[in-house]
Amino acid sequence: MVLARRRADIEWRGTLDEGEGSFTVGDWMLGEVPVTWIERTSRIENSTSPEELMAASHASCYAMALSLVLEQGGTPSERLHVSAACTLDTVNESFKITKVELEVRGKIPNLDDDGLREAAKRAEDICPVSNALRGNVEITVDTILEEE
Amino acid sequence: MATADRRASVKWQGDLMSGSGTFDLASSGAMTGAGVSFATRTEDPNGETSPEELVAAAHASCYAMALSNTLAEGGNAPESLEVDAKCTLDMGSLKVTTVTLDVRGQVPGLDEEGFQSAAEQAEQTCPISNALRGNVDIQLNTSLA
Repeated sequence: MVLARRRADIEWRGTLDEGEGSFTVGDWMLGEVPVTWIERTSRIENSTSPEELMAASHASCYAMALSLVLEQGGTPSERLHVSAACTLDTVNESFKITKVELEVRGKIPNLDDDGLREAAKRAEDICPVSNALRGNVEITVDTILEEE
Repeated sequence: MATADRRASVKWQGDLMSGSGTFDLASSGAMTGAGVSFATRTEDPNGETSPEELVAAAHASCYAMALSNTLAEGGNAPESLEVDAKCTLDMGSLKVTTVTLDVRGQVPGLDEEGFQSAAEQAEQTCPISNALRGNVDIQLNTSLA
């Protein structure tokens, strides 16, 4: 059985409120990406957050799962656009990731709205990142079929 | 109830094996047009990222923040923390099976035992750990620098 491992490194300096970190992902980024607590709860340009990275992971994983389901169903997609929004909330005075909302727009010849909804549901069932979050995080999927 | 939403988008073209995509960290713009493909998940990443690598990045950064907070609350604010996260995808079951967190810290006034205890406490509060809890095995290795 083949195993795949992917690594990301972060270095963090100082306390939560005032500190900052930077991480590197593989060698595809030019330099290090800054990450701060403040970015998680307010917004700093060009600084990311764990929730944004989780959204990126889920969007890319789900897009691959859906492409597979559509291909296996005999209606391969020409184009998929998946947008994921990951929500960090306070629950009982603790921070909690409560939901990921997936929005799918697809150009898929010979498939109707119902067909896309069904495929989207199956893809959510097999998506490894969805399954890593299952039961802990609410996952919703909205689909839009694009004509052209 | 306070919430913070963060958004990312991916565009995918083609089928799973031969297709490829690009994604944007849409809320911040910290990364745009980064390449992602199925091959990057299972073969040589070749300069592109993958969902598992992004989970590792999310977990490492989330955990570093949680631990910095736990240490500061205990009166031992860290000088620096280094967290490496490894995320494992089992290609047989297509499951994310494990995240291993390797934590090294420079923490004045704290011994190995105290650091280990803080690290375990932080793992319990880390929002990404809790999002994966029960589905993914989370392993923690600590050492003081």
